[in-house]
Amino acid sequence: MQLFFSYFKDLVGREVTVELKNDLAIRGTLHSVDQYLNIKLENTRVVDQDKYPHMLSVRNCFIRGSVVRYVQLPPEGVDIELLHDATRREARGG
Amino acid sequence: MAVGLRHFTARAGNGSGEPILDTDNGEELVHVQPSVSVAVGNRAPESPGTLYITTRQVIWLSELDREKGYAVDFLSLSLHAVSRDPEAYPSPCIYTQIETEADEVEDESEDSDSECSEVLDLSKIREMRFIPSDANQLDTLFQVFCECAELNPEPIEEGEEEGHNWIFSADQLEDEAGAGDDVEWHFSQNPTNTIGHSNGHHDLASSVLELQINDQRFEDAEEMEHDSDTGHHHQSQQ
Repeated sequence: MQLFFSYFKDLVGREVTVELKNDLAIRGTLHSVDQYLNIKLENTRVVDQDKYPHMLSVRNCFIRGSVVRYVQLPPEGVDIELLHDATRREARGG
Repeated sequence: MAVGLRHFTARAGNGSGEPILDTDNGEELVHVQPSVSVAVGNRAPESPGTLYITTRQVIWLSELDREKGYAVDFLSLSLHAVSRDPEAYPSPCIYTQIETEADEVEDESEDSDSECSEVLDLSKIREMRFIPSDANQLDTLFQVFCECAELNPEPIEEGEEEGHNWIFSADQLEDEAGAGDDVEWHFSQNPTNTIGHSNGHHDLASSVLELQINDQRFEDAEEMEHDSDTGHHHQSQQ
């Protein structure tokens, strides 16, 4: 958890897609994230607009961390070396 | 876990006043917004009432019908947002999505059925809108919802800690170097965890393996591996 938190904090201001466990996927600018991985998005749009037409107009939203399935990151926001190091450290309990 | 939406009738002052909260366990009233209508699921908005936001839940009480009120815990509120586009909804509102028990058990029927029926089953309601008569209050309400949601992190489930320790133990990752992403697959290949190996029924063991290949968890793992291979997306699983 702590690992993801530090990682997502660096992505504030970037465009991400948050996929919920109910299959709703919302794209938007990452406004903030807290230690429980609650996510606030701005300038949001629903990826599958046909299925969720009423979410069209929502400009900003708060998503509960526990209902997030995935966060898709911008490719340029992924530092694989950094992630590898961090996951190894976490795995060793450091 | 998620109880979803429920009826709420516990009012102080002979049933006409504020909601009775669980103050003994630290529940506090954070914000009161009078003159708010509520729309449950796809139903029409209900007569004005008062919205009470506490450190634990959102409560709406009808002004006209003292027996009428709804409550939902922040633990069950998956998402909330400000909706202003008249094409999406006629009135500016706080839009919320509610996690229901049905969500967790893979629901078979669409919620529209239950919402149209005579008796409203609140536990199946997945959406709710709060419509303040003063739309200028939306940003404040949104902010209060955010602050209170952050006060209600997911309770830590028992045994979760141990589970993570053995899945992500450093020894395991190093032994299986080269395929570190595929954690679930290791789990199903591990003889000590595979039903059937210990009593020598290899057919049973292999059918268990097949079952786990179809497991959704495995698909997820495969996606992650695929995506990191192509480099177009990188998905992080919680």
